[in-house]
Amino acid sequence: MDAQIIAYVAGAAAMALAAMVCGWSIAWLARASVEGSARQPEAAGGIRTTMIIAAALVEAISLYTFVIAILLVTK
Amino acid sequence: MDPLHHFRLHPMIHLPHIGPIDPSINMAVISMWVATALVFVIFFLASRKVSLVPKGIQNFVEVIVQFVRDEFILGIMGKEGMPYLPFILTLFVFIWFCNLSGLIPGFFTPTSNIFVTGTLAVMVFFVTHGIGIVRHGPFKYFKGWVPKGVPAALAPVLFIIEIPSAFAKPFSLAVRLFANMLAGHIAILIFLGMIIQYKSLIIAPFPVLGCVIIMILELLFTALQAYIFAILSSLYIGDAVHGGH
Repeated sequence: MDAQIIAYVAGAAAMALAAMVCGWSIAWLARASVEGSARQPEAAGGIRTTMIIAAALVEAISLYTFVIAILLVTK
Repeated sequence: MDPLHHFRLHPMIHLPHIGPIDPSINMAVISMWVATALVFVIFFLASRKVSLVPKGIQNFVEVIVQFVRDEFILGIMGKEGMPYLPFILTLFVFIWFCNLSGLIPGFFTPTSNIFVTGTLAVMVFFVTHGIGIVRHGPFKYFKGWVPKGVPAALAPVLFIIEIPSAFAKPFSLAVRLFANMLAGHIAILIFLGMIIQYKSLIIAPFPVLGCVIIMILELLFTALQAYIFAILSSLYIGDAVHGGH
């Protein structure tokens, strides 16, 4: 196989895996925070801020993969 | 078509090199100047005639300043963080306007360049540790990196573990902002590229619709990424103000 084709497949596979895992974990995070603020509506503001920070940390992982995938594809 | 073609910078006004540095002016620099000028003009106009009951543009600026003060400073750092309000506010508004400038056709997003975001992140790194060292003294500040009640033999190991973590924070700040902006604009570009690629009136409406949806989403993300950058910076600075964990 051509090295360029391997790079394309590797980039696509990496991005797909990262999107799957990070999408699942952000969904899990949102579910937990919605449950938390439904039980305690007065704590909703703090829970929302914490959720956005945690979502940003999770998202960073998929963005690292995105950068690596871009580097692989446009090599 | 190379999807990264639009993100390569070409010098527009050539200037002589200073050693290894090339100070030529390109589209990113001009976009950044436009963003800075806009921020300056809006904040200057709003602060010229300050009234207790806000009127006109003062409404807009007051909402931003109050949001930053309540969410980032009082919410995270507490009362001791008030001296750092101008820094966080500048970061937030500058990144927001830089992100927005990319949505104007013909302009470049300065924050979709790793060097711009890297510079901002390095600035946050030096401000964070500078504040910690100035407020607590170097010895007490670095002692604060190790949690209290740890056995004396274990403390150096924990300190060594904390060093990569200190460098990973600005790195993740820079990459997060850069990759988010790059991904959003590549998505817009791919939708627009479909129109050129297929050259068909039947297919063309769908990419236009997709492009509009992505642009609206981008409008949300410009504010969200500026928010995340500012809130993480204020978390790190808040840690330094309170003397580590």
